[in-house]
Amino acid sequence: MLSPKRTKYRKAHKGRIHGIAKSGFTLAFGAFGLKAIGPGRVNAREIEAARRAITREMKRAGRVWIRIFPDVPVSKKPTEVRMGKGKGSPEFWMCRVKPGRIMFEVDGVPRAVAEHAFELGAAKLSVPTKIVSRLGEGGH
Amino acid sequence: MSDQQMIAAQVRERAGKGAARAARRAGLVPAVIYGAKKDPTHVTIERRRLQVELAKGGFTSRLLDIAVGDGKEHVLPREIHYHAVTDVPLHVDFLRVTDSTLINVEVPVNFVGEEECPGLKLGGVLNIVRHEVELKCRAGAIPEILTANLAGLEIGDSLRISAIELPGGARPIITDRDFTIATIAAPTVQVEVEAVDEDEEVEGAEGEAKETEDEDGKA
Repeated sequence: MLSPKRTKYRKAHKGRIHGIAKSGFTLAFGAFGLKAIGPGRVNAREIEAARRAITREMKRAGRVWIRIFPDVPVSKKPTEVRMGKGKGSPEFWMCRVKPGRIMFEVDGVPRAVAEHAFELGAAKLSVPTKIVSRLGEGGH
Repeated sequence: MSDQQMIAAQVRERAGKGAARAARRAGLVPAVIYGAKKDPTHVTIERRRLQVELAKGGFTSRLLDIAVGDGKEHVLPREIHYHAVTDVPLHVDFLRVTDSTLINVEVPVNFVGEEECPGLKLGGVLNIVRHEVELKCRAGAIPEILTANLAGLEIGDSLRISAIELPGGARPIITDRDFTIATIAAPTVQVEVEAVDEDEEVEGAEGEAKETEDEDGKA
């Protein structure tokens, strides 16, 4: 699973997701992409599950790019522990995704294969998505 | 060579976000026509008409005629601003050109000959490094598309700009090297499997470490 090699601080604030993506909303590598159309916190397990689903559907062909990285630690208190006594320990890594963000890109496969792979991948993610393609590949 | 299409436009009296938003609500797309040492003209064009042109592909490498009022402008689309979520065109920049104007333009590359490529038949993956190539050419002679032939390429081979036949008068912007357009990469299936196994091991180790920490915390 994706996680930072080293971080400056162990724990982060929860934060809020406002507005829409200001960058990373156009296809940079592949011919097809999976774009978030709603805000959400995507964790490393979701990203890995989606990547596996996409890669397996594409079999030996094509290439996959992951355009998001989970660099925000999420902490959790152990079960049956009273409130207080400080913040819990980091439990997993997540990425704040704004609407418009391209999360995955693929290339080297026909449109039908890419669409089916993204459908399977999108089912693993906690944000609503849509499939986008380059102009000339059937629309932006 | 590019065909020339005619698009109707209306002059926009007011510039700025208020007027632009009002135009968008009315199903229009604000645009600007500039260049040729004349004052810029603010116009609006119909969104549906623009989307038809965009869907054809290669929009920024096709010359257009824009009918503004009684006059006609000969333009090249330079930039399209899309909405980040809906991908609706929000604004278009048009540059006034004549057929002899020398311009830099990005031309899409089309890949052919995949059936005659031994590298792809052996399971190689076409890794496109550049979907578009930036060329310097006359506005009247912009190639609609560049054709790259993959025939005969083995795994590990790369297709460079020198292998693509450019139309007369067009030359790439990058002149200091023979840059790569695409490569035939080896399949990465084996690497993927190993990577997944490693991840699972790491995940297991982390899980154990966390459980130990939690137990210590309770004690």
